[in-house]
Amino acid sequence: MTREVRATDAEAEAVREFLTGSGLFENLYLKFAMKSFQKQLAYKFEYFIGVFNGLLFIFIFTSLWRAIYAGSESAEGSGFTSGSIIAYAIFAMIVRISMSMDDMSTIGKVRSGAISLDLIKPMNYFSMALSESIGQSMFHWFTRVVPILAVCLLMFDISLPVSAANYTLFIVAWVFGYFIMFMINFLFGLIAFWTIETFSFQLMKYGLFTLFAGGIVPIDFFPDWARPVVDFLPFKYVLYVPTALFIGHIGGAEALKLIAVQAFWVAGLGFTCWGMWGAAQRKLVVQGG
Amino acid sequence: MKKEVFQIYLTMITASIRGKMEYKMTFLFMFFALLVYYAGHIGVVLVILTKFKTIAGWSLGEMAFLYGLMVFSQGLTSVFFSSMNEFETLVVNGEFDRLLVRPLNPLGQILSSKFEIISLANFTIGITALCFGSYYAGVEWTFAKALFLPAVLFGAVLIQGGVRLAVSAVCFWTVRNRSLVHTVVYSSKEMILYPVTIYKMWMQVFLTILFPLAFVNFYPSHYFLNRDGSDLLFHPVIQYLTPVVGVIVFTCAYALWRVGVNHYQSVGN
Repeated sequence: MTREVRATDAEAEAVREFLTGSGLFENLYLKFAMKSFQKQLAYKFEYFIGVFNGLLFIFIFTSLWRAIYAGSESAEGSGFTSGSIIAYAIFAMIVRISMSMDDMSTIGKVRSGAISLDLIKPMNYFSMALSESIGQSMFHWFTRVVPILAVCLLMFDISLPVSAANYTLFIVAWVFGYFIMFMINFLFGLIAFWTIETFSFQLMKYGLFTLFAGGIVPIDFFPDWARPVVDFLPFKYVLYVPTALFIGHIGGAEALKLIAVQAFWVAGLGFTCWGMWGAAQRKLVVQGG
Repeated sequence: MKKEVFQIYLTMITASIRGKMEYKMTFLFMFFALLVYYAGHIGVVLVILTKFKTIAGWSLGEMAFLYGLMVFSQGLTSVFFSSMNEFETLVVNGEFDRLLVRPLNPLGQILSSKFEIISLANFTIGITALCFGSYYAGVEWTFAKALFLPAVLFGAVLIQGGVRLAVSAVCFWTVRNRSLVHTVVYSSKEMILYPVTIYKMWMQVFLTILFPLAFVNFYPSHYFLNRDGSDLLFHPVIQYLTPVVGVIVFTCAYALWRVGVNHYQSVGN
């Protein structure tokens, strides 16, 4: 019992120190992002394997599309040429890598009971989780996206877009896509508050992402009858939309429309997260701890 | 194998199954979740095939057969070898020491400690895909083919099990191997989801000789589907070699494992 009190005291002390050290309160979340960035630096081997894995997948998917386009005469008229489909495959994979985040963090904290320590801290858990995730992603940008992009530019016959419009649209779409992805992960993480069995839900989420996010197959290739469903789901706004805008597959008014839908999803999911987080807190049962 | 040793393994395996079945709802839910997970991958291939009809000359039925062989053998591998994926934990926590002092083969102890019954999901999908593939690709099942199928599965399990064993053996030198497991065991499956003829020559050679995953589903499928094999880099006899390659891979992996065990030094806690 004494030990428990002391642990809580020490924790409170640490938080206080942390808050004083960070000066302005707004800097708190920046600190979480920085810390999370630094944590990633500790695993060098994981890092190289991660880069290797990314290149392996790019290699598989570019080989796949090359074979398909070589074997089908109608392929060139499918909306993507044999050149643009390779660019799509590569950039979709790079966007996927840039968005990789730790989707087990909340689950792990609920399971170990560490979530209770986060709850007593004078801050918003959602914002903290988001800042940590952003920190990780910034790490992925510098250490994975840049080298993988460099290797791909050398190895494949692709080039970066030259128009500033592409970059602007991409940055906005990427940020919105990132928020959508983060909030879907956050909501799936909250399942841990209700049930111990969370891995099944994660598996289903991965299955839905594989098919509907456009990471492997661009959404254009879905048969017409499936399009209403695929277009309605939030997944394509995570990978397909940023990638298609970046390579210039979609532009103009259509691009702005897609970004507006993204914004709608961000708002909708944000509201859902807020509601579910409230419900989850009331539901929390920490086992042991 | 002596009778009492066999008894011990049997007891350990039933204990592991009974442990899993303790949570029936979890099991059912996991089964369903796995179906959804695999449906994602199948969906991708289906979308491609609906749009483009063939992948490197493989039709819908043939692709289904190729996939069925992979998923089924992968499930069968998991039944026996799923404990190998967490071997790192045994070494990191020093639990492997405990296995060494028991008068039973340490590898046997690890393998029988976890008998993965969730592979039922793989079997369900695998059998469905094989039946669907046989029907659509018009496979003429002969007595010889029916006999050869278990032999192929046996070989495919030895190849994939051998790979997991070799990756685990790395732990004896490096202690950790999680990222390696991730790449070699999980990501590599993606490579044989499609016919290996989509890859450049050096990659086909790699998947045949150095990391022979092409024997799991690609080469044997040629025999079952009566493909002429003119697109193969190697002599057509290669389509019958899966069992042989399986034995070779597993023997090499086991040899590496034995060297590793002798080299093993406990982390000391």
